[in-house]
Amino acid sequence: MDKWECLACGYIYDPAVGDPDSGIAPGTPFEDLPEDWVCPECGVGKDMFEKVE
Amino acid sequence: MRKSSSLRYVVIGNGVAGVTAAQSLVRADPAAEVHIFGKEPYPYYQRPRLWEFLAGEIEQQTLYFRPPEWYAAKGIHVHLDAQVTALDPAEHRLTLADGDKVHYGRLLLATGARSFVPPFAEADKAPGEHRRTNGVFTLRTLDDAQAMKAYAGDIRSAVVIGGGLLGLETARALLSLGLRRGRTLDESRSNPSAERLDVSVIESAPHLLPRQLDAEGAQVLQGRLEAMGLRFLTDAATETILGNERATGVRLKDGRVVEGELVLISTGIRSRVELAREAGLEVNRGLIVDEQLRTSAADVYAAGDVAEFEGVVYGIIPAATEQAQVAAANMVADGSATYSGTVPATTLKIVGIDLTCLGDATATGDEFVVLRQVDRANGVYRRLALRDGKIVGAILLGDTQNVRPLKQLITTGRDVSAYSDQLLDEDLDLKALAQ
Repeated sequence: MDKWECLACGYIYDPAVGDPDSGIAPGTPFEDLPEDWVCPECGVGKDMFEKVE
Repeated sequence: MRKSSSLRYVVIGNGVAGVTAAQSLVRADPAAEVHIFGKEPYPYYQRPRLWEFLAGEIEQQTLYFRPPEWYAAKGIHVHLDAQVTALDPAEHRLTLADGDKVHYGRLLLATGARSFVPPFAEADKAPGEHRRTNGVFTLRTLDDAQAMKAYAGDIRSAVVIGGGLLGLETARALLSLGLRRGRTLDESRSNPSAERLDVSVIESAPHLLPRQLDAEGAQVLQGRLEAMGLRFLTDAATETILGNERATGVRLKDGRVVEGELVLISTGIRSRVELAREAGLEVNRGLIVDEQLRTSAADVYAAGDVAEFEGVVYGIIPAATEQAQVAAANMVADGSATYSGTVPATTLKIVGIDLTCLGDATATGDEFVVLRQVDRANGVYRRLALRDGKIVGAILLGDTQNVRPLKQLITTGRDVSAYSDQLLDEDLDLKALAQ
């Protein structure tokens, strides 16, 4: 599964880790994150993320 | 010969607001050409990571989000080292530092903010473009971070003026830089303790993070940070920076002296409104924008740290990106998007410390019901502020589980009065309540 990086702060969403603090279980692909999920580091929306090549 | 060109969409400022707007513009109008003019010589970099860079945790290259080709391929033309010196809104014309003229169809001002430098930093010691050799710094740009890192290479003590979010993050970065340096030197020297970097933080308010925390929460936080090795002086107003050629420390108004070969001033930001003000745009603390992010001049929009919406200069990233997206939508089709403000949410980015402040975090007064939970031993502090049965603010220290549900509850304004006495109970499922 792809990792995604926050344009604003550099946080990397790693699906293997998920975002347990936001209730996102490990194994959740970025595409399946809820639309109102925000970057846990800086608070920007999903549309500010880009796939890490 | 001076050039003159005519461009449909122009963005001034290559920070997060400018870059977000540019990519929103090309998304909404794929045929569009967008031109970004940035004052700095560097491509867009992630400002929050400057602190990691200062601490020696990442390389400069890591700060850059994308290769320059990415922008060109999307139709975004980035002009670096290209300061805009004048704006003529009537003529829809910009003048660059080299004299070139640029005509725009629609313009976004995303000029950001600068570090505020209080009067006690006398002129000869004031941080500035060419004055970083004296050990007095502000930290806002990559240049600042580079200069500071170079200077910090062989010093023993540093003092940070200002116990706000950025002051604390800088203090942490300096401490890490010192530890890292200590480890490296350990291998060749026998007295590692001599290589430590002592870092003190001076805060003029009675407690740290006066904008985000109440006194109790700040005490718990201070305890955690002291355990990491930082030193704090609160209720400590700076009188002057000491030292002649190079800073040696800070003298407080009560006479105490705090040693520091490096002095970092972290006392807030000020919007960069000069260009807009000289052009006659309506300016207050920031550049005033309406719900469409329009300024008082036709076809000129603003977003990010430069913008003031309903009396507020947010100065936080989520506000910058939300404003940039709304501004871009309206630049493509005026009236197509509306901005209604951003719920303030700030997180202290210090490893091992989880602190998030949401909404009106420090709300006090008869109209508020305040719930608190203090667990000093474990460094946990929770505080909720409710008004008319709705949560309007939250402080969460040492608790990351409830950040998202509380943010949702603040945003939706859901009435939780039925649960008000159990909101901080471990067994209450806030996530379910937020749904």
